[in-house]
Amino acid sequence: MIGKESIGRESEPLLIRIKPEEVRRFTDATGNLFNDRVPPTFVVTLKQSGIPGVELPIPGMIHGEQKFTYHRQLYVGDALVCKKCIKDVYERVGKLGKMTFVVLETTGCDLAGELVFSSCSTLIAPSKGENE
Amino acid sequence: MKRMQDYEISDRIPEKEWVPTHAQVRQYAEASGDFNPIHLDETYARQVGLGGVIVHGMLTMAQMAATLTNWIGEEGRVSKLEVRFEHMVRPGDAIKFSGFIRERSGNTLKCDIEAVNDKAKRVLSGVAHIDVLE
Repeated sequence: MIGKESIGRESEPLLIRIKPEEVRRFTDATGNLFNDRVPPTFVVTLKQSGIPGVELPIPGMIHGEQKFTYHRQLYVGDALVCKKCIKDVYERVGKLGKMTFVVLETTGCDLAGELVFSSCSTLIAPSKGENE
Repeated sequence: MKRMQDYEISDRIPEKEWVPTHAQVRQYAEASGDFNPIHLDETYARQVGLGGVIVHGMLTMAQMAATLTNWIGEEGRVSKLEVRFEHMVRPGDAIKFSGFIRERSGNTLKCDIEAVNDKAKRVLSGVAHIDVLE
């Protein structure tokens, strides 16, 4: 189970090249046009290293919020060094009972070290033992 | 056709309608690697209290993003895209994407965006910033 102690944990940085066939599959599945530009939400699908000691998704987990910031256009064929980090973990009581919120940030830098994008996901899961 | 440079405050962005199917959800799972059973397994989705399978929020967001990028073409780029998933989307729902320009600062168009289902419930809302090329 994930808790406050997970805040600040990071994945190992991983060098990823944006492959045309992966972008093509994504555009076919999402109504995007396929060209040399990477669709804004594609980066959530990049396979990354896991965060040590953190198991995601938690069963029943849903997506609450998603944010992307791009500092430049990302192109098919670009190489990025990506890293995930647990930014926050907190609990809140809602109409479905006590829920755990996990804020996960992903960043992608180019080979010159310039930040290309950052992405922030807020994921929501029933707190264990509360809703049984 | 109107150029991106010519858009002004309160102009609406082109609307799109979309009805997700189980096949599209499966296709998105394969393209994205997100095989969370809440999207694919009816029994599992019921067991965890969701009342049946739900469409990936990220698939709905990708469709929203596609309405923006298809509109912008090569005349600009999305520099910010932020949404809140307000209501679950299920296969068969009729989703309408829309938005308008709330603010223009320099060459950045700041848009309010949303997606509404056929029961008039808002499923997604947020903001998009578009940097228009000079």
